[in-house]
Amino acid sequence: MKLDLQLSRFSGLYLWALIILIFAIAIPDSFLTSTTAKSIASDESITAIVALAALIPLACGCFDISVAQLVGTSAVVAGSLMSKSGASPELAIALTLLFGLGIGLINGIVVARIGVDSLIATLGMSSVLLALSGLLTKYQFVGPFPDSFKQIVSGDFLGIPTITVYMVIVAVIVWYLLEHTPLGRRVFAIGAGEDAARLAGVRTARYKMGAFLASGFLSSLAGLLLAAKIGQVGPTVGPEYLLPAFAACFLGTTQFKPGRFNVLGTILALYLLATGVTGLQLVGGELWITDLFNGVALVVAVSASILAAKRKSRRQKRLAAARA
Amino acid sequence: MSASETPALRIEGLSKVFEGQAALEDVDFEVSPGEIHALLGQNGCGKSTLIKILAGYHRPEPGATCALFGGPLELDGTPPAADAPIRFIHQDLGLLGELNAVDNLALTSGYQGHWWLGDRRETKATHEYLRQYGIEIDVTVPIGTLSVATQAMLAILRAIKDVPAERLVLVVDEATAALPSEEIKIVFELLRELRQRGGAVVYVTHRLGEVLEIADRVTVLRDGRKVETRPVAGLSHDDLVQLIIGRPVEAFYATGETHREKEVVLAVEGISGGSCRDVSLEVHGGEVVGVTGLVGSGYESLLRLIFGGEERTAGAVRVGGALVEPADPSTSIKAGLAFAPGDRKRLSAIPAWSLAENVTLPRLPRGSGPLPWLGDRGERRDAQQWIDQLAVEPRNPATPLSSLSGGNQQRVVIARWLRCGFTALLLEDPTQGVDVGAKPAIYEALAAATENGAGVLMSTSDAEEAAAVCDRVFVLVDGQVGAVLEGSQQTTDRIMATALSAKADDLIGASE
Repeated sequence: MKLDLQLSRFSGLYLWALIILIFAIAIPDSFLTSTTAKSIASDESITAIVALAALIPLACGCFDISVAQLVGTSAVVAGSLMSKSGASPELAIALTLLFGLGIGLINGIVVARIGVDSLIATLGMSSVLLALSGLLTKYQFVGPFPDSFKQIVSGDFLGIPTITVYMVIVAVIVWYLLEHTPLGRRVFAIGAGEDAARLAGVRTARYKMGAFLASGFLSSLAGLLLAAKIGQVGPTVGPEYLLPAFAACFLGTTQFKPGRFNVLGTILALYLLATGVTGLQLVGGELWITDLFNGVALVVAVSASILAAKRKSRRQKRLAAARA
Repeated sequence: MSASETPALRIEGLSKVFEGQAALEDVDFEVSPGEIHALLGQNGCGKSTLIKILAGYHRPEPGATCALFGGPLELDGTPPAADAPIRFIHQDLGLLGELNAVDNLALTSGYQGHWWLGDRRETKATHEYLRQYGIEIDVTVPIGTLSVATQAMLAILRAIKDVPAERLVLVVDEATAALPSEEIKIVFELLRELRQRGGAVVYVTHRLGEVLEIADRVTVLRDGRKVETRPVAGLSHDDLVQLIIGRPVEAFYATGETHREKEVVLAVEGISGGSCRDVSLEVHGGEVVGVTGLVGSGYESLLRLIFGGEERTAGAVRVGGALVEPADPSTSIKAGLAFAPGDRKRLSAIPAWSLAENVTLPRLPRGSGPLPWLGDRGERRDAQQWIDQLAVEPRNPATPLSSLSGGNQQRVVIARWLRCGFTALLLEDPTQGVDVGAKPAIYEALAAATENGAGVLMSTSDAEEAAAVCDRVFVLVDGQVGAVLEGSQQTTDRIMATALSAKADDLIGASE
């Protein structure tokens, strides 16, 4: 039974290894290259930060689906500040992060103070942000951006793409705060049982507010990295991050800490999905493969975690019955 | 009500055993047509089991028979067929407050129209139906805006819509507990009307005054057995109490001197909210104080109001002399209050979490380093000593709470607050859902909690428990403190008798 538990907890790692193995055998020349590895690592770094932005509200039981559009709109805001208003990259970065915090604050007030369902509140916010993107860009590309701005993501660090290094730093901070501090534990307590958490002294509204602030901040950080990486932004970037980010969060609940949102599981899930998608594209799959793969993975992952939880509770009941 | 008449409801030889404990033992119960029959008894006497067997929630032990107007009714743990002339009104009326009377009635009996719902036609039909029973209301407003009595009547009329009154058995199961006494009279009119038309009503209540007012006969259950079936005429309030608790009631006299030498740790000043009205009480260091009463008397929500878990409309709380302001859980905990709610699945802990996580939640360990660090190993070691101290079984702190028995879960909750530290502990129904054998361990934990000078305030539905465990017992009646019993007056009988008394005002007047 112990072995079985380990297998299910780390099934993602095995699956990842299996995917790599299959493509390594099928298309060794194009798949097993450092270029492919680096491109997966750096391409997915931004999605990973978006996934972490979605993960924090999820931990306290709230959906923030405005994270994806906030990535795009933040990139547009930063771009407009630099190329239209002539702001320095430093100022643009600071203002964009403030913008992200501001959006998080509004989401937090609407959800935690007023009490609107988080899905509805952030769905509305997504549309508002989309409108803002249109307003700022006039539906034209914004850019190109100054080199000093683009430099923040260029190059490698010990062979690892710089942007991936940013992602790892963010992931470590989020992992520490969420999983190893009293603060994070209270956030999870709200997600596990809001009334129980409140009666145990957790100031639920305050923590939810904090979760949305963190989510807004990380989303706009992802937007900045995206702007720096692609050098110019259009009015329609953003929404494509929504599904992979949430798929990773939910798939992540089947890994390492079964039944709970966790940082390591989310990152693993994201790279597992990305490796699969990249491999399929290299095999010659068409563009729609990405969407199909992500969508199927999301539903399958959540079904798997529900089924696993049911099996676990059945096993516990049997154990309890045996004990009695 | 002649003997030759076929009874509307006849149950014979009804028994039910729950986990080796008899909830009902060979009970016979008979209700005549054109009769309002009250079913009485203390909490746990078996009357709700009887109702639940009739309604098909439980399957009785083999050998029981049941007949409705002479036709057999199979008691097999499934709800009676739709054409069986028996209907139930439970405490939760099952109405949707946001819908109007037309839609609420249609939920069970359907609309007039099949392919097209015309508002005017539906409204007219509902109006006509209600008018048969003399009810004139606006059927187009959400029923949540109507009075509670009207809602209760709508629930009754909805239930009986497709049953002719002369062939009806209506079971009203504490459905009037939430009604103010002046509104109950309106509902009584409807019940009398049904009796007039030949229907039979089984009326389950705690309020003895109502029984005297409306019932023709009364059947009393005690410890799962039928005590007696009697005509109500000629019975007094005290006679009923005596039938219910099985012993004569001694006369009331005012409570005497107290043994409160220690300082007050918890002072509750004029709290109102929920069903509580202006409740004041004090808990001294080292004391275990009980709060009890009937369902709906306010004892259920009092502790929540004190802790700030539910909003109160008036009143103040002092812990160790200091005012707790504002009234929310977080502030209360900082001030030295601890609260273990009765709803263990939803409120008092997080079932999916491990024992360790549940124990540490109100005061999380920060580790010894410069930055806070919450690691599994340190946390489990921290929790382990409290789990050991309260002898929680199993002792592994990584076990999920949901896999524990009720008694062990309750011990985990007490362990959590002992670890957190408190001046006064508020406990809702601490032994509810706990096996008899596991109760002493919980009482021991309570006694241990008071050893270092803390006070305990516990609410309980069990008068026997209140009498046995507490140093003093506050009995709430109608949302107010009906009596404070202690010393020789603190007996199960006295607590029950106080709780059953009709009105708090009378009682307070009498004891002065």
